[in-house]
Amino acid sequence: MRNRATATRVVLIVWLVVAVVGDVALAFGPIPPGQASDLASSESLVILLLAEIAWPVFSGVLAALFFTLVINRMAPPTAEVSADALRGNTRVQTIWIATTLVIVLSLAVYGTVALAIDQPGAGISTTSASLPAPASQDQPLEVQVIAQQWWFTYRYPTYGGIETAQLVLPVNQKIQFHITSLDVIHAFWFFALGVKADAVPLNDNVVTATPTEIGTYRVQCSELCGLWHGNMADNTAMVVSTSDFAAWIQQQTALDGPIMKYLPPYSHTYTGTNLPQPGVYAP
Amino acid sequence: MDVVSTTRPPMSTAPTLARRLNEWGLLLGLIGAVIGFIAGYALGSGAISNFYGGGGEPTSLGSDPGILLGYAMSALGFLTGMGFLNYPIGRLLGVKRPTEEDNAYLHGEGGGLGRYFRMTTDHKVIGMQYMVMILAFLFIGGLGAMFIRTELLTPVPSVANAQSYLTLVGLHSTLMIFMASAAIIGPFGNYFVPIMIGTRNMAFPRLEALTFWLLPPAGLILLSTVFLGGFTTGWTGYAPLADQNVLGMDSYLMGFALIGLSIGLSGLNMIATILTKRAPGMPLSRMPIFVWSVLVTSFLGALASPALIAAVLMEMFSRTYQATFFIPAGGGSPYLWENLFWFFGHPEVYIFVVPAFGLIMEMLPVFTRKPLWGYRVGVGGMVGVGLLSFVVWQHHLFTSGLAPSLRPFYMFSTEMISVPTGIIYLVSLGTLWRARTRFSTPMLFIFAFFFNFLIGGFTGVFLSDVPSDFSLHASYFVQAHFHYTIMGGEVFALMGAIVYYLPKMTGRTMDIKLLRYQFWAVFITFNGTFISLIAVGILGMPRRAISYAAYLQPLNDSASIFALALGLSMALFLGILIWEVVIKQRVAALNPWESLGVEWQVPTPVPMFNFDRLPVSWSLPYDYDTGKPAADFGPAVPALSGA
Repeated sequence: MRNRATATRVVLIVWLVVAVVGDVALAFGPIPPGQASDLASSESLVILLLAEIAWPVFSGVLAALFFTLVINRMAPPTAEVSADALRGNTRVQTIWIATTLVIVLSLAVYGTVALAIDQPGAGISTTSASLPAPASQDQPLEVQVIAQQWWFTYRYPTYGGIETAQLVLPVNQKIQFHITSLDVIHAFWFFALGVKADAVPLNDNVVTATPTEIGTYRVQCSELCGLWHGNMADNTAMVVSTSDFAAWIQQQTALDGPIMKYLPPYSHTYTGTNLPQPGVYAP
Repeated sequence: MDVVSTTRPPMSTAPTLARRLNEWGLLLGLIGAVIGFIAGYALGSGAISNFYGGGGEPTSLGSDPGILLGYAMSALGFLTGMGFLNYPIGRLLGVKRPTEEDNAYLHGEGGGLGRYFRMTTDHKVIGMQYMVMILAFLFIGGLGAMFIRTELLTPVPSVANAQSYLTLVGLHSTLMIFMASAAIIGPFGNYFVPIMIGTRNMAFPRLEALTFWLLPPAGLILLSTVFLGGFTTGWTGYAPLADQNVLGMDSYLMGFALIGLSIGLSGLNMIATILTKRAPGMPLSRMPIFVWSVLVTSFLGALASPALIAAVLMEMFSRTYQATFFIPAGGGSPYLWENLFWFFGHPEVYIFVVPAFGLIMEMLPVFTRKPLWGYRVGVGGMVGVGLLSFVVWQHHLFTSGLAPSLRPFYMFSTEMISVPTGIIYLVSLGTLWRARTRFSTPMLFIFAFFFNFLIGGFTGVFLSDVPSDFSLHASYFVQAHFHYTIMGGEVFALMGAIVYYLPKMTGRTMDIKLLRYQFWAVFITFNGTFISLIAVGILGMPRRAISYAAYLQPLNDSASIFALALGLSMALFLGILIWEVVIKQRVAALNPWESLGVEWQVPTPVPMFNFDRLPVSWSLPYDYDTGKPAADFGPAVPALSGA
């Protein structure tokens, strides 16, 4: 029995070390999606916290499995029957269920709070009016993302509804993304900003995020949208300084000038053209 | 040692018409399928599309009404030829009832290999039929996975083009879903549930046969998509993309409709059997835990599959009758498909894994030589998983924009799932506690199940939490998560159960020492593959994309190389299985694991009607401390209820 007690202690210590080292490593390691926006930071924090809780529990269950399998077992079977006839233990069961319930409930409460802070007003919006020009950086700048097979275009209603093929955002400015689609379901995924929202035809999906790091990023479609879904990605999305953004807007306005009259008036949803229309069979 | 039921005199030599029809069922079924397809195709594309002039744009291969009606009538023709309508139509027309001999023949009396190739009402034959079919699905689906991983060795399209890649993704996923929904309940549920509960056959044996014979047409119809241009929607079939797709989409819709029918009917049959046909002395509280898992799964299947069938029918109407259920411009909503689909889709994943829980808990006492620890709480865990599975489907739609105010609830309900699944771990740990564990090959697969499913469960926590799901949703993280639960969980349990139950089902066994090497190969390559894919997902690679960012290539290559090795290891399992069981025919001991389960106490091969006298149940079959048998197999007074 002495050996068993020692082995038990060894397993406990190994588990403790693994759990602590893992948690410390997690705390210092970079956690995707990173810190390029308030939303991304919050998601990274949630992922980190979940991982910090999950890792000791995960390694603990594995340690318990190892312990019961290798250490806490009886001698190899000599007789037909086993001496131990444990059939259950109400106390152990109650403690286990209560513990998992407490962990789960606290996770759910934390997630709900994080959600309430991150995403006020997120989801499908039914307003038709666009936001006025932001007077301060805390007031959101409206940017529309229009998905279609197989690219994204962007509109800036506060700048005359100009349409661009490249996404450029001012840093430290709260952005309200309005995401819609012209044909099938897409999803707009700006990984670094932690923004992911489905683009659903005739629906206006709203997400808010404030980019905090200047840089060039990748945006891509994350909902299977047909043939070239895999290539519906763009490595040129940019977060730039406020003055660069103003210059870029000026340049785009000039570029868009001749074609503005052909663009549909800015709206939160558009009726697509390349969908099967009522009265016409699908091909 | 062929044990023949002694209750019936030998068969007369002159077969009746009913028996002849049954004998030639498969041939008649194939003829019926061809005639049905031609008739349906002609009716659909000719009369409906062209005659009335509403035919839209039929392509060179035909039109949607033609293909869909062709498929439907071909499935109907196949089943008619197989003989599924003989009995109902005979009764309708007042033809003489089939004789007892006809019924005995239908049940497989006379034995022989032929009974595996016709409509048979013997649950053991049906179990074997399921086994072969799901292994075939697993093999074809696995080939698809190998192609997918080969393509993803490079960040730009290489061996496949975009259309064939997406069709491969769709075929792999849909075929694997077909396979997984029947992988455990099909072979082991059908084979062992009646024996475990001590009865001679199912409550609805013809219905049971139907649930199997829906699979071959479903699989073939799905695979025929390659002749019709394939489909680009993956297994989720989201509209309006599905409305845009070419004719190959119809294969997906009809295949899924047939599978949905099979899942639902199988559920009804199992529920009726388990609730009404248990042996005397077996209350629900004394049912083997695997039977409980089948009961829970059957309720899930019976309640969830109607939503799927409704959804695919609506999509079929969209593609033929111009019903714009899912097209916003026509007043529909893409969200409707998402909701219907996932209302089925989430219980569906527990249809995969709850029987695996049951099998694991059924096998553990055998290898630990201890009673099952916490039987009641284990049953409660599975029932809890089943109940919760109906109120979590919105977590597939956290990024859809739908009902943001309900997200906290669905986050909560999803996280709640970890409580009943945690109970399964508790029961297993309790059973392993101070046990004389035998580290036999099936036991290795059980450990692997715990390890893999643990990772599957913990990755699930990150997806249930809305803020972290915003980053991980629809990425390879999700893909790795459900492969950890379905492949790491269900398929590992399936492999363990094949090793464990094969001696009873076939009287033959596999070389369990050779299988140990196979086990370690498959375990290591599986984890190598999907740990790489977890990392790929965290770093931002979306699912189902043929092209990806260049910085993800090393991890993708690692996943691909492990995956190809994993494919080889899986093929090795199949190879050992075929070599040892079919070719070498290694004879198994009668009860090689020294199990107390009722299913191991009947002779091998199991007699036609399982028991001469119905056993009287005494206790749960886990009394390894006393070695007390679970039932009285020769009750002095024959039990009342018959076959």
